[in-house]
Amino acid sequence: MASQTLTSSMQPTDVYGGDEVSAIILDPGFSSVRAGFAGEDTPKSFVSSYYGVNEGGQVFGDDAIHNPLAGLDIRNPMSKEGIVEDWDTATRLWEYAITSRLTSFKQADPRNNGLNDDLKDLDVEMDGVEEGEKPLEEHPLLMTETAWNSPKNRERAIEIAMESWGCPAFWLARNSVLAAFGAGKATALVVDVGASTASVLAIHDGLILKKSIQKSHLAGNWLSSQIRTLFATSEPKVELVPHYTIMSKTPVDAGAPAQATYRTYEKEVTDSFRALEEERVLTEFKESVVQVWTGPGRLNSPMQAGMTNLEYAKSQPGRVFEMPDGYNQMWGGERFTVAEGMWDERAALPVAGEQPVQKGQTISEMVKASVNAVDMDLRSQLLQNIVVTGGTTLVNGFTDRLNNELTVMYPSARIKIQAAGLTAERRFGSWIGGSILGSLGTFHQMWISKKEFEEFGSSVVEKRCK
Amino acid sequence: MTSHDVRDMLDLPGEAAPRPIKKAKLTGPRPVLKGLAREVQNLGGDNPIAIVPETTTFKKKRFGSRKPAAKWENQSFRNSAREDETLVLKHWRRKAESPAVAPGDEGTAAPNEVKLEDSTFAKYNVKVITAEYNDEQYQKHLLSEDWSRDETDYLVSMVRDYDMRWPVIWDRYEYQPPAITLDPQAAELAIVTASKPRTLEDLKARYYSVAATMMKVHKAPETMVAAEYELMEKMASFNPQQEAQRKLFAEAAFQRTREEAREEESLLIELKRILARSEKLSEERRELYARLDAPASTGNIGVFTTSQGLQQLLQQLMQADKTKKRKSLMGPDGTSPAGPSGLNQQASFDRRDSTVRGESISGPSGTNNKKGPSQGQTERRQLSAEEEILYGVRHFDRITSSGPAFRAERINKPITSKSSIQQQKMLSVLTELGIPHRLIMPTYAVGEAFDHLLTNINLLLEQRKVTEKIQSEINTILAIKKQKEEEAESKQILRQPEAVSGSGDVKVEEVEREKSAAPSINGRKRSASVMSAVSESTKRQKK
Repeated sequence: MASQTLTSSMQPTDVYGGDEVSAIILDPGFSSVRAGFAGEDTPKSFVSSYYGVNEGGQVFGDDAIHNPLAGLDIRNPMSKEGIVEDWDTATRLWEYAITSRLTSFKQADPRNNGLNDDLKDLDVEMDGVEEGEKPLEEHPLLMTETAWNSPKNRERAIEIAMESWGCPAFWLARNSVLAAFGAGKATALVVDVGASTASVLAIHDGLILKKSIQKSHLAGNWLSSQIRTLFATSEPKVELVPHYTIMSKTPVDAGAPAQATYRTYEKEVTDSFRALEEERVLTEFKESVVQVWTGPGRLNSPMQAGMTNLEYAKSQPGRVFEMPDGYNQMWGGERFTVAEGMWDERAALPVAGEQPVQKGQTISEMVKASVNAVDMDLRSQLLQNIVVTGGTTLVNGFTDRLNNELTVMYPSARIKIQAAGLTAERRFGSWIGGSILGSLGTFHQMWISKKEFEEFGSSVVEKRCK
Repeated sequence: MTSHDVRDMLDLPGEAAPRPIKKAKLTGPRPVLKGLAREVQNLGGDNPIAIVPETTTFKKKRFGSRKPAAKWENQSFRNSAREDETLVLKHWRRKAESPAVAPGDEGTAAPNEVKLEDSTFAKYNVKVITAEYNDEQYQKHLLSEDWSRDETDYLVSMVRDYDMRWPVIWDRYEYQPPAITLDPQAAELAIVTASKPRTLEDLKARYYSVAATMMKVHKAPETMVAAEYELMEKMASFNPQQEAQRKLFAEAAFQRTREEAREEESLLIELKRILARSEKLSEERRELYARLDAPASTGNIGVFTTSQGLQQLLQQLMQADKTKKRKSLMGPDGTSPAGPSGLNQQASFDRRDSTVRGESISGPSGTNNKKGPSQGQTERRQLSAEEEILYGVRHFDRITSSGPAFRAERINKPITSKSSIQQQKMLSVLTELGIPHRLIMPTYAVGEAFDHLLTNINLLLEQRKVTEKIQSEINTILAIKKQKEEEAESKQILRQPEAVSGSGDVKVEEVEREKSAAPSINGRKRSASVMSAVSESTKRQKK
């Protein structure tokens, strides 16, 4: 107390230029929606983007959508490119993400405010919210979007924020820019590998360079499809059984068939629900087994003494993964092959119903194309500020491989990769950047106010949020 | 050993007076230092140790100074940096402690709206200044074949929007010529220019030319401050070709392969090593030459067997000795002097040089050692011809008779060296010519011109004086002549006045000669002597 020289009202602004106006940061992605207050270090609200539909209506949130009894059809309001397709649902989903954890709107009648209801009736409650109090009347909203978002979608976003949520101020920021801010950089090359899209783009002074935008589908979901192919083609075939089907299991030896009793449900479980649950198992597999060959060279390129890197990788100790039904197996070289397609188009496993991977879609080629599309003077600077973000980059060895690929590609340039060490910082990179931006005192002049929206209409967002 | 013993040894009188006082002092502070060990206290000797014992009363303090928790309130504020200043956001601020703002919500609402606090961050809103022009100015100064008015406007607005971040401007540059044009011909033209892709250099070149031109239009270059002028110069001299070239080079360097990069790196290291060594090498080599500078001993000894030969040898040695001495005066690395043995020595030098070259042909030190002194000189800054004029550097073939002097001395010198009347006259001439008495900008050229002018004025004054003198002399002589004639008429004696007038004629002639010579030589002294001569003659006349 005695050592405190600055008054506490002065201190924050003088130290880091922060001036918090309790803004809310909303960062919607293909697999999850992140929302929270500006100035905090992680989003308070983390909600799956998938929602369930049954005859009762729509349900949101992890608590509701993983229920096999409800007979839910699982859908996603986002397109494969991370752009909103179904605006009505997306609005409701985001509203759920914000109101369920963040804002304290005036409590409605306890009989139908949802707090006393069980989960099945949650959807009914959501409708009720819309009619009543507008959820964000006291909070400026900072929303993120992908760099390739269409102008129409952007206008839609501001309309929702202003008209249905009643925000006093709004701003739409690119998630890659925010990821760079989150890493403390205004000029950076952002490598963002999320669930549906992998993108590489250059940012100069907080503005994206549109010519440098590169994106491909070689991201988390594609990696899952690779694993599915791996399971289907391995000998013996590995069954992918989600958790909800298992009642009990008994331990078995590695490679031995599973011995488990299965649950049966009266109501038929939809395919989309099963796919969602399978995805959870695959996520576990990705987190614990999958590894990227870190280099040098590619997985299939020869090492010394006529041995390929793959053979070397196979000779290394493998990892055991146990399926929900008890089946377990040691994964050796295969755990490298599934991720290799991100770097080497020839190593990608074929996926049914999909085009083979093109050379230009690999991460390293995207970086190359992106760097080539910017001014010469910026290139070396960008390569010194590569920000890696997105959940899929947490796959073991990703940044090492990226570093190796780039040092081979640009031998004379200095490559410096900035990848957050903490898992949360990597997954929520763009949200954290938004949190920083939204809490800055100098950002207040940027907000699009409600008055400006009313004056200029929704096209104001194109003019202001560049 | 006590002080008593010391005193005893040094034969000083016994007990000194201040001792008891000291003791009394010591007893004062000691008991206060409670926490310290006696040994530690003793370390300080007579002076108490400057250690403040820590007091462990923090607990008491904490509870003692507890105030009611600070009150915070969700204050509204505005931001004057916004275009729409009506947006009112709220942040948590400590409640002002003054009792005036104490009352309830209804009471404060009205005054709050009036004096809403401005954001402390509004001052950071800095905008770039971009070129501005109107139709008339555009037509007059900014017309370009390559750029339409519309596109220039677009460019300038882009520059303003993106705060001169050129990579971004280039990235977002999507100029679409206006779709509807009244004149069909113009529309066609616009369509032709539409597909024109602009490089970053094009954009920069156009904007800089516009900005530089407008700067010139708004403010005359003479009235600009240095920074403005520099900026204008920089923008005006922007060379897009050179910039593009530079980028090409940069790209080539960027896309070097690993081998090339490594090679270049190793070459750079090599170069650094060689440069570091060359200094040492040349030093060593110089030393070696000094040692080898003995008189040449080539040729057979047979020549020196005769007494004449010995004499020659002696002479040669003496010569060599002399050159050595001279050399040491000139510095250790002076050029080889030409002498009787010069030829011989030169030959040996050449030989050595060639061997040196052969040795170290790989590095930059392969150049011969005669480079040594010239290298030393190159360290001095090389001035271009313009800079030499700017700094007033002059080169003399030999040192002037007056020796080195400050140019500043010359500002006052020509006038102060004169008598006050003379000075007055010169100053009045200067005033008449409208030239200030002291130079405002005493550059070398101006100083020379001023000097020249002063000399001329001087000359003019002298000549006027001389003419006046002569005139008066003529008048006197005429008067005398008249007198004499009158006297002669009366007395009929003609000899004396004739002689006087004859001597006067000679003087006049002399003066005339001097006058014609004066402008070509330094006139001042000469004319002064003439003057004195004239005045002497007139004095004599008066006698």
